[in-house]
Formats: sequence, C-alpha cells, structure tokens
Amino acid sequence: MYGYQIVKELEARSQGYFKFKEGTLYPALHRLEKSGLVTGKWQMLPNGRQRRYYYITDKGFAKLATERSQWQDFLNAVKLIIQPGASSP
Amino acid sequence: MTQEFTHYLESIKYTSKLSPSDEREVISELETHIEDKLQELTDSGLSEGEAIDTCLVQLGSPTTVARQIYEAYSQGSWKHVLLASMPHLLFGALFALNWWHHIGWLTIALSLVLGTTVYGWWHGKPNWVFSWLGYSLLPVLAVGILLLYLPKGWSLLAIPVYLPLASWWLLHIIIQTAKKDWLFSSLMLLPIPIIIGWFLAISPTGRFTEYSIQQIYSLAPWIGLSFITLALTIATFLRLRQRYLKIGLLAVSGILTLTLVVYYTNGQLNTLSFVGLMIVMWGVFLIPALLERRLRHGRIIPWKRRHTDSPGIGQHA
Repeated sequence: MYGYQIVKELEARSQGYFKFKEGTLYPALHRLEKSGLVTGKWQMLPNGRQRRYYYITDKGFAKLATERSQWQDFLNAVKLIIQPGASSP
Repeated sequence: MTQEFTHYLESIKYTSKLSPSDEREVISELETHIEDKLQELTDSGLSEGEAIDTCLVQLGSPTTVARQIYEAYSQGSWKHVLLASMPHLLFGALFALNWWHHIGWLTIALSLVLGTTVYGWWHGKPNWVFSWLGYSLLPVLAVGILLLYLPKGWSLLAIPVYLPLASWWLLHIIIQTAKKDWLFSSLMLLPIPIIIGWFLAISPTGRFTEYSIQQIYSLAPWIGLSFITLALTIATFLRLRQRYLKIGLLAVSGILTLTLVVYYTNGQLNTLSFVGLMIVMWGVFLIPALLERRLRHGRIIPWKRRHTDSPGIGQHA
C-alpha cells in the first residue's frame, strides 16, 4: 500500500471516525521503516509518476501480532467495564 | 505544484533538516500525496482554490509534520555514535594516559582527525563528521599560538594577517555547517571554550613555559575527563530524537564542562575568566543559530497561520 491509500483505507475501515492529519502519516511510516517493521519501495506508474509502496516485513508481522493481542486485551477490558452485564451471568 | 504547496514543502524542508537524499525522497512522497489528494477533491466537485485549501488543512501544520520527520531521522545509529565520540575519546586518552607529550601520538591523532574530516566532508557530511571537524580546526589555532613565538617585529606583522584569515576560515566552516543544521555547528565548536579554558589555566601569559608543562602534567587527568564528558555529550546528542532535548543537552553539557574546568584548575581561572568563557560558550552556541537564520532569511515565505491551528493527528469530532 502507499501512503494515500493507507489514509483512505483507515478512514473507510473506521467509517470516517479516524481522520489523520495526512502529512503526519509519512513520519510515522518512516519511523516504522527505520525500525525494520515495514519496507518502502519506489515504483514507476504507467503515467511516469513514482509512488512509494510500503510492505510489512516479518519483524513487522511479529510486532503486529503482539500489538494486536495487546489491543484485543485492552478492548475486552474496556468492554467489561462499560458493559458489566455482558460478562456476568 | 501551486505556490501554496511550494511554500508548504519549503517550510517542511527548512524545519526537518534532512540530508539532500532523504529530503528528495520525503518531498517526492508528499508531492505525490498532494497530487492524489487534489485529484480526489476536484473530482468530488470542489473548485481548484477550495481543493487547495482543503488539502492544506488536511495535510496538517508543516511545522508539526517537519518536527515529526526530524524526529524520525534525527537518531544516529550506534556506529555513528561511536564514530562521532571517537575524536573526543582520542584526545581524552592522550591526556588521561599522559601521551600528549609524545610527538608520535600527537601526529597520529592529528592525522587521523584531518583524514577522517576530509573523508566525511567529501562523503556527504554525515552527522558524525562534525565532532571531527571541530578538532581539525586545532592546527589553525596552533599556528596562531606559534605566531606568538616569532621575533617581536614579525609577530606584529603576522598576527594582523593571521587573524582575518583564520576568522574567515572559521566563518566559512561555520556557514557551511550551519547550512545543514546550526546545531551541528554548535556541536563542532563545543570543545573550543573548553580548550581555551585549559589553555588559560596552563599558560596564563599565552606562552608555553616549564610551568605550563608541569601544569599539563598535573591537570592531565581532568583534561582527559573533560574530553570524555564531551564524548558522552555527543553520544547522547546523536541518540536523542527531540530537537529541544538536543539543544538543552548541549547547553547544560557546555556549562557543566566549563564548571569542571574552572573547579579543577584550583584557582588558576578567576571569576572574570569563567564569565569570559561562559560568554564564549554562549557565543559558540548561539552564533551558528543566528547565522543560519540569516542564511535562510528570505528563502521561506511565512506559512499562513490559518492552516496551522490543527493538531498533528486528531480524531474526527
């Protein structure tokens, strides 16, 4: 995916809830790249323009799994707090 | 690219302080994003002006974007940390091990400094080169000191030639460095007040005598310690990401190291000398910043405030 596509995807998946200041996406992507979690590659488009596509690395997948699990735990905990009836018999 | 976007990207270039190759990549990526965004907005029925305004607001403040880009790129690797600390450690070791009076070791140290500086300077001026660059100015200082030993008439003739030439050379180096980032100029010049402090302590008259040699012997461990403090400062400086922390670190380290110099000279430096050294230190610290501001003046057209009042990443209300 490329930067603009990521912004659009995030907006669509969150049904418009998350709206990034789009310029700040790139420093975040570059930090991830420097940490080896994603890798960026320039690709030439048919119209002669270049785009930078980002690919998640193996290290990135491992980190994603950890973060996803932590977020899931956090979400479950919040759900238990705001919907106490849902967890109790 | 319209003028608004040119100003926006110029503002990011100015604040993010990237190397030319990184800058090209970041700016190209932002340009592509802007083109995609404008296309989408004009396709949705907005006029060109409305699309530009909307795009600028949605991109976010250039200051915030540039600060985040700076923080993404500003941390040096451990290899760079080692390379940048090396000249301070080298000179620290020369004094701590009392090798400073061996002409062989001095020659090796200075050759290494000059060789590494020239190599780094011609290979894209990486961040680690600036600490070496500071020490490569030492031969210029040494020539100035040697001029004091010329016969009286010759000294009077040579010094008026030397001073403007040395000042011009120093200013030229500072300008070249400040073009990259004024903080690197300050980093490069940081040892100067420390070296002047030790020089005043060992040679109050400005001339090397037997007394000066004895003084160096007795102060050598503390001279070594001050250089090692500088090495630690550089290492921390390169590992920090935030600019304000880097600035704070240089200021605090400069003051502490000068205090260490005055403390260990056992009264050789009086209050007036300490105040003078502090002024030199603040000069070393602030002159590159003022120079950079002057060099950039006129290149950047101030960003319109109306586009800067939003936070970097925010939730849609």
